[in-house]
Amino acid sequence: MGVTCVCQVPLAEGKSVQQTIDILHKKLEQLGAVKQGNFTVDCETYHATGNASGQPTKLLYVMHNSETPLSCLALFEGGPCLTADGNFDVLMIKLKSHFQNAKGHKVESRGSRYRYCDFLIKVGAITMSSSARGISVEVEYCPCVVPGDCWNLMKEFMQSFLGPSIPELPSVFATKPEGLYVPADCVDTMTQYLELFSKVRKQQVLPGTTR
Amino acid sequence: MEAPPVSVLPITGGTINMMEYLLQGSVLDQALESLLHRLRGLCDNMEPETFADHELVYLLKGQQGNPFLLRARRSLSHPTVPWHLRYLGQPEVGDKSRHALVRNCVDVATSHSLPDFLNEMGFRMDHEFVAKGHIFRRGVLKVVVSKLSRILVPGNTENTEPLSLSYLVELSVLVPAGQDTMSEDMRSFAEQLKPLVHLEKIDPKRHM
Repeated sequence: MGVTCVCQVPLAEGKSVQQTIDILHKKLEQLGAVKQGNFTVDCETYHATGNASGQPTKLLYVMHNSETPLSCLALFEGGPCLTADGNFDVLMIKLKSHFQNAKGHKVESRGSRYRYCDFLIKVGAITMSSSARGISVEVEYCPCVVPGDCWNLMKEFMQSFLGPSIPELPSVFATKPEGLYVPADCVDTMTQYLELFSKVRKQQVLPGTTR
Repeated sequence: MEAPPVSVLPITGGTINMMEYLLQGSVLDQALESLLHRLRGLCDNMEPETFADHELVYLLKGQQGNPFLLRARRSLSHPTVPWHLRYLGQPEVGDKSRHALVRNCVDVATSHSLPDFLNEMGFRMDHEFVAKGHIFRRGVLKVVVSKLSRILVPGNTENTEPLSLSYLVELSVLVPAGQDTMSEDMRSFAEQLKPLVHLEKIDPKRHM
């Protein structure tokens, strides 16, 4: 795994979520990218029930990534995170009287996975409670683990199919431009998805396509 | 770079439920060698395996009911290996003639940030100890012979003192819920360890 950037892509003028995704797929295929399966990233939210009144409820997020199907990542926003195996979900069921699953808040991004030389590109439709909320694009440059060394190359590549909607340097990289990215446990990638999903939760439901 | 299979495991309460069957006993230090010798004969032929683990027990006090207990265990002899988090449910009260203690068990392998993460969830460490000993297998049955030691300075696993003059012996097996054939196998294996050690079903509640 290499340096990964996750961003949201706006809908094309007058197009729906699915139509915009189709346009992106066409652009990738024109570049020479090859479709290699599908992907899913999802995020569930749990509320801690034991807090004294007046204190803000702690939110625990449990995320899954099809790239690491046997693992899950549990994290508190801005707090510690834990990588665990699939049984962590079973444990959260046992903890249901202390941590309630806010089922309506589950956000997921699903779509196709493309490979172009050393890049892995995932274009996903973000949904929450079966309603479309936007489009996520994840670009991974596999050979490099130092963000400072490859950000310019990644930006140039993203421009070739995203046009002007390329993102800023993700905030997770800002703290370590010369430092090692930590690809082995996906924490930085999942943190970016979490930021994106949190933003999307606050946005309005998009008109048009529902899944 | 092939995509891993995107298969969705159905996680609903009761679908994936493992049960632990347990029998416990103890032997005085002087009797350890005879027990290990008997176990080497009865168990699967493999390299004798020793272990040294540090276990921390965490409690989450809720608004009502008993505190929720989780056990976090790490290896002292293999420090880079993942931590092991374990939840054990209440013993099943049912068939009194069942020979072993049966309880729901959830095992999770986790990264090394486990203690910080549990604290953030609201868990507080109740106690910790060091367990060192030997592990044997016979098919799916597992026998663990361990010396438990008290940690004198919190967090310092070098400075310990044994809790007793004996070794704890545990015979256990993990099976999916619904399969109830194991307690008979455990009972017959336990018979073969008599009179060196008496393994029995010990209800944890009666000792609290």
